Amino acid sequence: MLDFSVVVGNFRFLIVQGFFGLGSFAGGTLRLAIPAIVLGFFAGIFIGLARLARPAWIRVPATVYVEFFRGVPLVMVIFWMWFIIPQILRLPIPEYGVALTAFVIFEAAYFGEIVRAGVQSVPRGQVEAATAVGLTGAQAMRYVVLPQALRNMVPSLVTQMIVLFKDTSLASIIGYVDLTKAAQIVNNREIRPFELYLFIAVVYWVCTYSMSRMARRLEHRLTAA
Amino acid sequence: MRYEFNWSVLWSGQSGGWLLQGLLTTLEISTLAWVLAVALGILSGALRTVPWRSLRAAATCYVEFFRNVPLLVWMFFWYFGVPPLLPRAVQDWLFNHGAEFWAGMFALGVYHGARLSEVIRSGIQSIPRTQFEAAMAMGLTVGQAYRLVILPIALRLIVPPATNESLNLLKNSSVALTISVAELTFQTRQIETYTARAIEALSAGTLIYLALCLSIATGMARLERRFAIPGLIVRVGAG
Amino acid sequence: MTRVLSILLALVVTVSTAAPALAETTLEKINRTGVLTIGTRTGSPPFAFVNRQNQWVGFSIDLVEQAIVPAIGKKLGKPVRVEKKESTPPTRIPLLSSNAVDLIAGTMTDTRTRRESVDFSLTFFVTGAQFLVKKGSPIKGIESIAGRRIAAQQGSTNARIIRERVPTAQLREFPDQPGAFQALTQGQVDAYTNDGIQLAGLLAKAPSPGDWQIVGDFYSYEPYGMAMRKNESDFRHLVNVGLMEAIESGKYFELYEKWFGPKGEVPYPLTAENKRFLILQVAPK
Repeated sequence: MLDFSVVVGNFRFLIVQGFFGLGSFAGGTLRLAIPAIVLGFFAGIFIGLARLARPAWIRVPATVYVEFFRGVPLVMVIFWMWFIIPQILRLPIPEYGVALTAFVIFEAAYFGEIVRAGVQSVPRGQVEAATAVGLTGAQAMRYVVLPQALRNMVPSLVTQMIVLFKDTSLASIIGYVDLTKAAQIVNNREIRPFELYLFIAVVYWVCTYSMSRMARRLEHRLTAA
Repeated sequence: MRYEFNWSVLWSGQSGGWLLQGLLTTLEISTLAWVLAVALGILSGALRTVPWRSLRAAATCYVEFFRNVPLLVWMFFWYFGVPPLLPRAVQDWLFNHGAEFWAGMFALGVYHGARLSEVIRSGIQSIPRTQFEAAMAMGLTVGQAYRLVILPIALRLIVPPATNESLNLLKNSSVALTISVAELTFQTRQIETYTARAIEALSAGTLIYLALCLSIATGMARLERRFAIPGLIVRVGAG
Repeated sequence: MTRVLSILLALVVTVSTAAPALAETTLEKINRTGVLTIGTRTGSPPFAFVNRQNQWVGFSIDLVEQAIVPAIGKKLGKPVRVEKKESTPPTRIPLLSSNAVDLIAGTMTDTRTRRESVDFSLTFFVTGAQFLVKKGSPIKGIESIAGRRIAAQQGSTNARIIRERVPTAQLREFPDQPGAFQALTQGQVDAYTNDGIQLAGLLAKAPSPGDWQIVGDFYSYEPYGMAMRKNESDFRHLVNVGLMEAIESGKYFELYEKWFGPKGEVPYPLTAENKRFLILQVAPK
């Protein structure tokens, strides 16, 4: 029968070590997710704008980058980073670095597409008005186009951030002790998979659901303005 | 330590066979999961737009619960957590017929069903309400209205985001390696375990995924052009 | 598509040319960073596992921390820290060759085939392969597994031997021990094969040990060694010196008693023959 005492008994390990990353193992879902989201987003802005650049030597590599990373599974990218980075640097790299790099590189392609769509959704008239007023191309982008584009992008952006948050669970495959790996470690010892995995499903659910609620509130505030 | 390349391991020995098996397993699990996801997606997506509150709530619960939890957790849940709760006869059948394949298939299908449901819901909601009212005025029941009028239009509208989700499903099938489904990524690890040629194995797997995704995307783009409904442009966000 | 292929090709070429760039030895690296990174198990009691207090402990881990690291530290003249990473049978050699870890300290069997890819330290444990089955199972050893479903760890010596010797057995390979054991408990397989001591360790920690039994004579000889990259003779020498000094001073037997003694995690008495073998490995000063 169901016995949730295994969750209660290991609650500290699961949440403090697995979720927050404070403990003797290298891990933590939050410790990985927050930098990945921030860095991935900024990398995405870079990639998205590069895809819209006029000069082909910027636009073409960016397009190839996006098409490449959207055509391979994230698990593959993680394995690539796991083997390639230590080889190139000839140094053992902590799982954290490998996972973070994989996530940022991968998600930059997806964030890039969202940025591109957002920028393209700003009416051409805005850019023309900006140039008429005397702003250079870069200034027009910074002061006129991007702010409006960002407002349009918010729903898709937050959706992608939620996806990235969930994807951090894949770091457990290379041994990073996040919430999922912590549950695996406990399950390997106690063999109570139903209770343990249901528990972490609920934890993930609480996080992502609050993220989407916050997103909806943000969207209301931005469109009401 | 120098890495010594040896590309021949990909076709000599067992590697070629493993890659092929992996590719076939990936296609099998993805296709079956896709069928399940489409069925669940259409059902729950439509139910989220019907006039009856309880049905809407039930569908919403399904969608919100399953799509907000990582797929990896679902894989473990369906493979380790669910079988012990099934009747003994079902368990025995499962374990003799590749339990991990079925667990992976269900995890993929149910998860992507929830995501597809959002896509389909947006598609349905972007159809002008007048269509529905006209159908009702003509005497169709709600069920008939959906089946004969709403869904056919909605399904044609959502081809681009649905393609996106379908490709995601194919890529996510790689997560099944954690429950030892011998799909493509699992086989690249298998090759690397037995030959120690990591880069060659990973390259082969990556190229195959790229080829698969690009061909499906091109095929679907052509399909989209054929089925596009002029005049009804929809900005449908994916789940 | 061609663009993508050319990018991939460029990546591959870059990686292959980057490889010979630096040629630092493992010992130089440890000297520089002060860290020895080891690959070890998380689910193989009592060699390396996570205990009830969620601490990562084990016999192999203790050997590294209390026998090998002091030897390295003494030679380099500075303290050396140990960093543990999880490695499993399918991932341990790739982790070693990709520089992700410096030493594999877990349950790795020293074999001639493996010596073609990695170097091994002295043998620090001797065991053999057996089967774990439900009590009362008709399986009694390697002779009775034809046609049965057998679980094994992906990339282990056991998997290879079963595949070669009993091709009719339905081999199911798992990435790690806990997955294989769970398959056994759920009835997905008829037996789980692994080295006897690991099966004993698993049984000692299992929720209901009385339901299972270890059967069969050793169908293979499994000497455990610590693995490291090839062409690192000074590092390998230090690892061996550490182990030799531990055996000579009695530290090894103290640790053995802690984990395998009557009051240890997995009682497994040291046979006189094996004790002699260990002592004879110690070269004179």
